[in-house]
Order: sequence, then structure tokens, then C-alpha cells
Amino acid sequence: MTAAAFMTLLQGAGVTLAVSFAGILLGVPIGLGIALVRWGEVPVLRRVAAVYVSLIRSTPLVTLCLLIFFASPSIGIDIGPVSAAVLAMTLNTSAFNSEVWRGGLVSFPKDQLEAARSFGMRPSGAFRRIVFPQLWRSALPGLVNEMTLLIKGSPAIAVVGIVEVTRAAVRIGATTYEPLPPFLVATVLYIALVFGFVCLQRVSERTYGRAGASA
Amino acid sequence: MPDTSMPPAVAPPVLEIRGLTKSFGTNIVLDGVSMQVGKGQTVCLLGPSGSGKSTLLRCVNWLEPPDQGRILLSGKLMGFRDGGVVPMNGMELARARSRIGMVFQHFNLWPHLTVLQNLIEAPIHVQGRQRDEVIGEAEVLLDRVGLADKKNAFPAHLSGGQKQRVGIARALAMRPELLLFDEPTSALDPELVGEVVAVMKILAEEGSTMLVVTHEMGFAREAADEVVLLDLGRVVEIARPTEFFTKPKTERARQFLQRYVHA
Amino acid sequence: MIREFAIVWANSGQLLNGLLNTAGLAVLGMILSVLLGSLLAVLLMARSRPVSLSAQAFVDLFRCVPFLLLAYLVYFGLPSLGLNFDNWTSGLVAIVFYNTAYMAEILRGVWRGLPRDGIEAATAFGFQGWRLFLRIILPQVFLIAAPMMGNQMIQIIKDTAFLSIIAVPELTHVASGIQSQYYVPFAAFLAAVLLYWMICSLVEAGVFAVERLARERR
Ligand SMILES: Nc1ncnc2c1ncn2[C@@H]1O[C@H](COP(=O)(O)OP(=O)(O)O)[C@@H](O)[C@H]1O
Ligand SMILES: [Mg+2]
Repeated sequence: MTAAAFMTLLQGAGVTLAVSFAGILLGVPIGLGIALVRWGEVPVLRRVAAVYVSLIRSTPLVTLCLLIFFASPSIGIDIGPVSAAVLAMTLNTSAFNSEVWRGGLVSFPKDQLEAARSFGMRPSGAFRRIVFPQLWRSALPGLVNEMTLLIKGSPAIAVVGIVEVTRAAVRIGATTYEPLPPFLVATVLYIALVFGFVCLQRVSERTYGRAGASA
Repeated sequence: MPDTSMPPAVAPPVLEIRGLTKSFGTNIVLDGVSMQVGKGQTVCLLGPSGSGKSTLLRCVNWLEPPDQGRILLSGKLMGFRDGGVVPMNGMELARARSRIGMVFQHFNLWPHLTVLQNLIEAPIHVQGRQRDEVIGEAEVLLDRVGLADKKNAFPAHLSGGQKQRVGIARALAMRPELLLFDEPTSALDPELVGEVVAVMKILAEEGSTMLVVTHEMGFAREAADEVVLLDLGRVVEIARPTEFFTKPKTERARQFLQRYVHA
Repeated sequence: MIREFAIVWANSGQLLNGLLNTAGLAVLGMILSVLLGSLLAVLLMARSRPVSLSAQAFVDLFRCVPFLLLAYLVYFGLPSLGLNFDNWTSGLVAIVFYNTAYMAEILRGVWRGLPRDGIEAATAFGFQGWRLFLRIILPQVFLIAAPMMGNQMIQIIKDTAFLSIIAVPELTHVASGIQSQYYVPFAAFLAAVLLYWMICSLVEAGVFAVERLARERR
């Protein structure tokens, strides 16, 4: 493998990271929104949210990418491959994140909320000042785990023509007729990426896991 | 006058323990224990908590391999073969263990199996006995411990006393030469102790060979042929229950009785 | 829009075929990886450090690699070892390798948390070695691990969609084919999504049933 090929793979890794981060940045708060809708038992919307989560959780990311990319022009919006990829990643991870958030919300001690109410706090204030500061600590390990899974699912975006690590490796292999070396380098790159998240998860479990559990 | 010059030609005891020693690290838990259980006898092993009673039972079936000493089951050496030099391998140990039934303080039933399946599991799959025959025997045993109607229940649905009666029936289903009981009533609510003790008394009367660790002094007094008092890993006293409970020979036994009987 | 769905309906035979391939890959993959994962779990629990550490390295490696990359490695790598499989079989091999690692990790986790009591009783009753593992340990582990294994099954179903990239004729590949032939992207992929939803819901229902079984056996 040449240095140029290696650079191509590194660029691919950059794309993988960039798209994944975009998905995470959008998907984490959206997931919280969905979880709140279901936890707060907002009429109608909670049903919609439940169906959304169930549907997206059983849809492969590959299929979702294809659906968004190819079907969007037929409803009049022609989004490019990058937007399609980010949208698909966001939809996917938001559904899983909402389950993590919801798990934290469901196990949140009710008496604390009642206490906040009895001091005259409005629901939104109680959420911001009482619930959220504890919630995000207990949800963090689960959220980081979802991030790892998203990175591992990210090769799906290649189906809409984005050259991320795996796709880059395929291309290099196709030109050199030696597919294995670029795949092995790609493997090492993924291990580095995923290992970074695994470390992050261990740290977050150590730092916040117990705090969250005892909260 | 009987002729005492000739040793009587009796069968060897079902269990004979000679000079049993066991330590965990620097903690000497059993320190040269010797005792016997003859055929059809019920021997109660008494002693304060931590005196090494459980460890002694676990050494008998090699769940804990002893450091020194010998365990003889009907004259056959446990844990070794070929004249006591070669340690048994896993298969041989398993076969030897299947001759001993064990009843545990916390029942230790297999939660994924029904009551009947708990009884027939080892006889079929360890002893390789005929399924129909084993089931027939197991049903009789369940009837004897008063649980015939629970044979298809899972352990999770039973009370503690029922679980322990299943535990006893499970041990009996192995047709064991020797039954080991490790505080079979200590984990039970007081009102459930009686039903388990009743079953054990029947077994003792019917001539099962039993080594029983217990704090149920009533059982020891009424059902035991012999009482062994263990303290700090040593045998302090071996006596008939009538003598042990009325005129103990050692100071240590008197202290023990003070605490556990007269308390 | 109606016209789109009519076209997809006209090709429902193909979709069904794709669905069967997806389900077949997932079921076979599940069975094989549960079998191999059980064996690997034994190695993970082995008393010998070199054995358990190398098993752990194997598991960790597969848990870091994306499934598609592994599928490529198998697809391109096996021929260079002189093993020539068709795409379908390569896909299956990739599924099995990948999920064996996950299953082993799941089973080991449950096994470690299993109460010692029942295992000790089994030892005292003469169980040991494989018989102890197969008759006493594994059934309890499976009952407790069932929900996690069900989730993994759903993951396998979804991972099969990656195999469309190496032209395995599973559901997404078939939907892709229909869409490019008639240009009916929305209807074709939506049909695929709904079919995925259906089989994943089936698996969830199965898991629910097993969980009920497990609850009374605890
Ligand atoms: N597996 C073990 N490892 C270390 N120490 C043990 C173990 N089993 C028992 N012991 C120790 O051996 C001593 C006797 O324990 P045990 O036989 O359970 O006594 P008893 O049953 O008479 O209460 C205790 O001090 C206990 O801490
Ligand atoms: Mg004890």
C-alpha cells in the first residue's frame, strides 16, 4: 500500500468521524425530546413517538440511507448524499438514544419531583434544575455505548456514495487488486476509533455511573 | 461371656474419617479430625459457627480436597485410587460423589427444572439409570415427603420448607450410601422447621446412614445415635446423645450446651 | 404514489424471496453463533489464563470492527486462503464470526452472575465437565440471557442489510433492484422497512414469551 492510499484511508476516517459526530450532536438532544414526550405522556405525540422508535429500531441503517437518499427527490426535496447520510444517522441514533434517556427518566425517583413541585417549581424548571443534572449523568454510559454502535454502523452511508473508511478501502483494493491490506488498515483505524469510545465509556461509567445509580 | 479375643467380622463403617486436616491460607479450619458413621446410624455434628462443620462435610465428598488425612466410604478411599497415591480425576470423583447424597442449608435446587426433574436429573444423567424406573422411584419419594402434588412446580413457587423437602428427596433419589445434611433447617422460618425435621426423623428411624450438621438440639437428642462436638476444627467430644446432653465430659461441651440448649 | 405501490405489489414475489433470504441468514446465523458462542464462552471462562486471554482478544477484536468491514474481509479474504464461497455463504460466515463473539460475551456475563449454589449442588451430585455445563449451567444461562440474545437476533437481522453491498439477494438488495428497475424508491424501500419491522416484532414477541418462561424458573 502506498502513502497516498494510506492518506485516502485517513480521509475516509475523517469522513466517518465527521458524519458520526453530526449524527450524535443532533441525535442525542432529539432522543431526549422523544423520551420526554413519552415520559410526560403527551397525548397523541407519545403514540407517534412509540411507533417511530419501534420502526426505526428495526430498520437497518443501510435501508434507511437508501430510502432517504432515493425517495427524497420524489417528494420534491433533493438532498445530497451527505445530508441524506447525516439525516439517516440522526434518525437511527435518536431512536436508540431516546430509549437510554427514557430508561433514566423511568428510574428517576418520583419523590424528588414531588418535592420540587411542593416548593412551587414549575415542571420545566423542575426538569432543568432537578431532573436533568442527575439524568445526564446516569444516561451518559448508555449514550456513549450508542455512539460506539453508530460508528460501527456508519459504513452504511457508503451506499449513497460517501467515501468513508470502508468504502475507501474497497476503492484502493479495486485499483491495486490487493483488497486485504487496505481492509486491514481500515480495521486498525476502526479499532482506534471504537477503542477511544470504549475508554470514554469506562471513564463515564466510573465517574458518573455510580453517581447516577445512587441518585 | 462373649469372646473378646477375636475381632468381630463386621462390615467397615459407611464413613470413616481419619486425621482430616484442612487450612485456608493460614487459617487451620480442620485440625486432625477423626470420626465414623456406621451403617444405619445417624450422627449429629454440633459446634459453634465457624468451627469447621461445613468444611468437614465438603471434604467428605471432596468439594474441598483435604490437605491431610483419609476419607473412607465403606472402606474405599475417597479422592485417591491405586492404593491412595494417585488423585482421582474429575470423572472418578464424580462417580464417587454420586454415592453420597447432600442436603444444603440453602436448598440449592436447580431453578430451571421442575420438582420431579430436580429429583431425576442426577440419577438419569450421572448414574445412567433407567428413566422410567427413576421416575417411579422419584414419585414415591415425593409422596413420602408429602409433595406429590408439587411434582410439576418450579422451585421458585415453593416455600422454604417445601424446597428443603424436595432437597431431601433429591438426595434420596440417588440411592445414596450416605446422606450429608448441612444445617438443613437454618435458613427456614421457625414455623417451617418442624416439617423438615419430621422427614429427617423418619429417615433416621428407617435406618438411613446420615451425618447431620444441625443446631436443632431436639433432633440430635431424639434421632441421633451419636453426637460429635467440633470446636476450632477439633473433635471435642463424641458421645451418645443421652450422655452428651445430660452429663457432658468436657468443659467445652458444657459451655456449648449452655449457649445452645439452655439459652 | 398509488402507482408506485402497485408496482411494488406486482413484485411482491421478489420481495418475499428477499425476506426469506434475510430470515434464513438471520436464523442460521443465530443458531450457529449461539452454538459457537457457547463454546467460546467456555474458553472465556477457562481457568487457564492464556486460553481465556486469547478468547478475550478474539471477542474484543470482533466487537471493535464494523460488520460490513468484516463481511468484506471474509468476502475478499477467504478466496486468498483458497476457500471459495458464494456471496450468500460468505455473508453467513461473516454473520457467524461476528455474532459468535457477541454471544460469547453475553453468555459469559450471565454465567458469571449465576448463583454458585446450584452448580455446587450439581458437583456434589456427580455432575462435572461437559455434563455439568450442558445440563445445569447452560440451560440457566440461556433462560436469563434470552432477552439479550433476542436483541442480538434483531441486530443480526439488521446487519444482513449490509450484505446487499456484496450482492447477497436479501431484502434490501431486492428492494434496491426493484427501485432501480422501475424508479419507485419510496414504495420499494418503505415496503422493505415495514417487512423488517414485522420480523423484528416477531422476534420481540418471541423474547417476551421466553421471558415469561424464565420468570417462573428463577
Ligand atoms: N472456601 C473458603 N475459603 C476460605 N476460608 C473458608 C472457606 N470456607 C470456609 N472457610 C473458613 O473456614 C472456617 C470454618 O468455616 P465453616 O466450615 O463454614 O464453619 P461452620 O460450618 O462450622 O460454621 C471459617 O473461618 C471460614 O471463614
Ligand atoms: Mg456451615
